[in-house]
Amino acid sequence: MHERDEARRDRERTRALFARFIERRRRAEAPEKPDPEHERLRDELVVVHLNLVRFLAVRFANRGEPLDDLVQVGTVGLLKAIDRFELERGVEFTTYATPTIVGEIKRYFRDKGWAVKVPRRLQELNLAVNRASDKLAIALGRSPTVTELAEHLHAGEDEILEAQELGQAYNLLSLDSEVSGENDKKSQTLADTVGVADSGLELLEDRANLERAFTALTGRERVIIYLRFYESVSQTEIAKRLNVSQMHVSRLQAKALEKLRAVLVE
Amino acid sequence: MKQAVEHSNLELVELRIPARPEWVALARLAVATVANRVHFSLEEIEDVKLAAAEACAAVIQHDRHGEFIDLTCEALENALRVRVRDSGRQGVAVAAGAPMNFDEARIAGLGIFLIRTLMDEVTYDVNPQAGTDLFMVKRLAGATDN
Repeated sequence: MHERDEARRDRERTRALFARFIERRRRAEAPEKPDPEHERLRDELVVVHLNLVRFLAVRFANRGEPLDDLVQVGTVGLLKAIDRFELERGVEFTTYATPTIVGEIKRYFRDKGWAVKVPRRLQELNLAVNRASDKLAIALGRSPTVTELAEHLHAGEDEILEAQELGQAYNLLSLDSEVSGENDKKSQTLADTVGVADSGLELLEDRANLERAFTALTGRERVIIYLRFYESVSQTEIAKRLNVSQMHVSRLQAKALEKLRAVLVE
Repeated sequence: MKQAVEHSNLELVELRIPARPEWVALARLAVATVANRVHFSLEEIEDVKLAAAEACAAVIQHDRHGEFIDLTCEALENALRVRVRDSGRQGVAVAAGAPMNFDEARIAGLGIFLIRTLMDEVTYDVNPQAGTDLFMVKRLAGATDN
């Protein structure tokens, strides 16, 4: 009950403020000289409604733009709404202003190429989850929990789950596709396998780079990398298949990884 | 509400989750999945998820909410219908009183304004006995009369 009274008082205060403001605004429409009182009331209305802008901006903050920017464009929307609002409409200002503020925030996203941004954000988060989960798996000696992943990536648990789920819709890249593990061992990705062999190769991030890097390899090196890291075939087995010594496979593998690293760190 | 009923249900998903914040993500996922069946754009799907999350938050913030939230998502030919209901109120002490206006009750705080902005049609019923019952529709662009 107390809260309802408070809400009513808030609304009445806002209406009174608007009544004074709109009167000034009308007079200011024939602007011979600037009216400081009009400006002051306008500022006051902005301050009173900043929590609405903030509330809305926060709701859109997971779409890949900084919160501060969203608050800023949202405030532009708020100003527009303040300048256009009429008490005779019979609606509460919040009802009137919300679509204007949201509209401004959404336009900002569109101008920023939002349509490509969402899949990219999901992809990035999905890739980050995959990488972090294997990194944590090594550190912990077990599969990490979602809570641990969220902490590690400074993301919400719900975001982790969502990225993991929705990421699949975007056919994530071969680099992060699973390499079947030997026996019951946790399966790994090519990127991680290489990363284990040489932690300097953590930068392996996208398929284009990897494909480019693979062109630097000879046919035999490519076969070895493929069998070793995609098929998890042992060096001894590869040696048998290629009819060379295991030592030779080992040398070729080291050389191939060296080449990959050289191309990828460029 | 009226015209949407005339369409046949293409797909219907019902979900009951505990009325706690950590379950809202599941509601978001469910709504997103069904919205995708209607072929909304990514932006529209994000909007629908946001609206559903706000509706769930509205129920949870209500200090007399029930134990569960019942979510119903329906994929229609060119629209998505979502219903978010507060349920499982047995044993929850409720004060008798006149039905409250949604804004007056302030149960969603500012959320209801956002929901109205994001969805094409929003109706709700809030009262101390039955809890919150919010119904919303989003139409596919082009299917709107604007």
